[in-house]
Amino acid sequence: MDRRDFMKLAGGTILVISSGTYAFQFLTGSIRSATGEGIDPNAVRWGMVIDLTKCQEGCTACLDACRQENNVALHGDPKLDVHWIRKVKAESMIGNEVQEKSILLLCNHCDKPPCAQVCPVQATYRRHDGIVIVDHHRCIGCRYCMIACPYNARQFNLKDNEHWANKERPKRSHGVAEACTLCAHRLDVGKPPACVEACQNVGAGAIMVGNLNDANSEVSQIISRYATKRLREELGTEPKVHYVGL
Amino acid sequence: MSFKNVIQSRMSLIAVLIAVLIIVYPLGYSVADYISAGNAAGEKPFLERTAPEITQCVEDTIYMRYHHWELLHAIREDVVRYGKRSEVSLNNCRSCHTSREKFCNKCHDAVSMKPDCFGCHYYP
Amino acid sequence: MDITFEKIKGDSVAYKTAMIIFALFAIAGAVSTWIVIQKGLWITGMNNRVPWGLQIVMAVYYIGLSAGSLVISGLYGVFGKQEYKPFARIAVWIAMLFLIAGLLSILTDQGRMDRVFVQPFVHFNLQSMFSINPILYSGHILICIIYLWALFTERKKLTTVIATLAFGWAFCVHSGTGAIFGFGARMLYESPLLPASFVAAAMASGTALMILLIVGLFKITKRCLDDRLVLWLGQFLAVCILVVVYFLFIENAYRAYVVELRQAAMYYLFGGLHSIFFWGGLIFLGLVVPMFILFRKKTGQSIKWIVIASGMVVFGILFERYVIVLPGLTYPQEILPGMHITQSMIQEGIAAYNISLAEILQALGVFGVVGFLFLWGLRFFKLLPTEAIIYDQIGLIKRIEYLRQKGIHIEDKKPRALAAR
Repeated sequence: MDRRDFMKLAGGTILVISSGTYAFQFLTGSIRSATGEGIDPNAVRWGMVIDLTKCQEGCTACLDACRQENNVALHGDPKLDVHWIRKVKAESMIGNEVQEKSILLLCNHCDKPPCAQVCPVQATYRRHDGIVIVDHHRCIGCRYCMIACPYNARQFNLKDNEHWANKERPKRSHGVAEACTLCAHRLDVGKPPACVEACQNVGAGAIMVGNLNDANSEVSQIISRYATKRLREELGTEPKVHYVGL
Repeated sequence: MSFKNVIQSRMSLIAVLIAVLIIVYPLGYSVADYISAGNAAGEKPFLERTAPEITQCVEDTIYMRYHHWELLHAIREDVVRYGKRSEVSLNNCRSCHTSREKFCNKCHDAVSMKPDCFGCHYYP
Repeated sequence: MDITFEKIKGDSVAYKTAMIIFALFAIAGAVSTWIVIQKGLWITGMNNRVPWGLQIVMAVYYIGLSAGSLVISGLYGVFGKQEYKPFARIAVWIAMLFLIAGLLSILTDQGRMDRVFVQPFVHFNLQSMFSINPILYSGHILICIIYLWALFTERKKLTTVIATLAFGWAFCVHSGTGAIFGFGARMLYESPLLPASFVAAAMASGTALMILLIVGLFKITKRCLDDRLVLWLGQFLAVCILVVVYFLFIENAYRAYVVELRQAAMYYLFGGLHSIFFWGGLIFLGLVVPMFILFRKKTGQSIKWIVIASGMVVFGILFERYVIVLPGLTYPQEILPGMHITQSMIQEGIAAYNISLAEILQALGVFGVVGFLFLWGLRFFKLLPTEAIIYDQIGLIKRIEYLRQKGIHIEDKKPRALAAR
């Protein structure tokens, strides 16, 4: 037996065994829709309303509460910091006067999330109740979702988070993407998200979360009564964060 | 080279052997590691019972010993992907198995298999 | 015509030095990758606004360089130009290596490399270009292996079939790579033209690399090479460059014309470092000067000039990949239409990206792996033909001259083709 045949046989054996294992794994593995289509229309569909007319400039109650609740990393470097919810100041022209507004930006939990569409491992997905969430156990850190998100709502854990404020909640290792989860862990047990609670207790009660499929819920009422706006509606991503007074 | 020759050749045997060795290397590695850490098994009791008043876990001891990761995996899928939060969770494991050093790490160190849980989930 | 292939001996000083240098590159890349795994991606130049950096640029570039095999196998497998058969083996070998390099670059760029070998295969998402492309790449690697095997064992029918398959598959590979960006939501990414322009740029860089390799290897190992083969490839390269220029023009003209995209186009064309890369690196160095060299009668017929032009194209297309990936990311998205963000907690507006040492070392490492494997392959597989000539009057005369220079007289080794006539 010469070297060529030896190599052939050894290589062939490895190929057969490993491809067999792979085929088995693939066939038994779950193949689910990434964008969560075909879900029950009567189920809960969480949405958020942010009333910018009430939101006060300089108040950071919701930001602090979010960081405290979800162990969001703060390194002190704007390039590395992670913000699930962030407050920006934006100028717009009214007539020829400059008007400044302070606006809360966060994950819009789109009904057709582009981030879930591009995730190669279905780590980002739309939950049955409409919340777009990252499965950090599955994320490989390819950062394609950050490219696809039109709101810059996604951030990446470039560095390990040193602070662990809330030990009951997990933090994230470096190398995974994350965004606002609408405090799914709190909504699941019937509590409002941390930012909503903080805004009601400390702030001005400008943030509300409720069921968009329920006509009598607070958020549905506000949306029907006021002219609410959503960010970049023309993209067709169907965001579920509505702004009053944008 | 006919098939018969392949079977008869001693080299072919070695070729297959090397291939199999490459494939089972991770397993063999942990077995070797286990043997080298064998003295750890001599200490008795191997796992310390830190909460003696409770004797029953969510499943039998034998089941938990060999399938706890399947259970954790199932809970994880339920919670993260479907939002079903029940009493059984990694956080609640802490109420009886209070220490990672005295519990998880004992076996996991012995078989040199690092769980990927505690980088993100708190466990004292 | 029977062509004999042979291994190189690989005992020269140059060979060994090159091997050592490539191995050092690979080691440096491995060390850098290990540090990135341990510390996290913050030590690279990437940040939360610019999540893709040099590694993605290099991955795309490497994938493009593999297109040389597309050209050669298209010529010889699909269009039946037998005189390109001598280059088939080396083209496929290079294609395979550069596809591996592309995958390696993508792999070393991931945040959680430990999961890459499990999760994408278990939880597959056919809607994602990032899920489809690795299948295309690994499928192409597999095709390359079968192709090489068919070439080594001289199976004529299988070679034709697999060459045609590889030709078609390579089109999918390069279009798919373009679609990662072209189907994206960023203002400077979104373009249905991008997959097509990717194929064109890939063919240009692939052909240029093939010219460099063929001429270089034949020169170093002192083999007989018919100039006309290279001249034809040079003309093909010129046409490829023309197509690239055309696509670039259409794309940028569209962006500059449409009001919505005009500001982005101005940023792309005159907005910073990438604009220097675009005008100086891509347009001037990579496209205009080579095109001038190749289309000019005097220089276009000279092997030396063609090699210079090819080198410039290979270098210039790297800038093309850079200006595809990065300006699209550094240019801000319009989150609040009609408003101007003055204060924020993250970088709003135009973001900064500086290439870091870690990324450069990683890129060099992948290059080292490819170079090492390529040289290793030359020594262990029969990749190089003993000669590459067109078997007609001119080619055979050239060969006789060549042999005479080597001290072999034609009476000793009479070419069969000549005898047949």
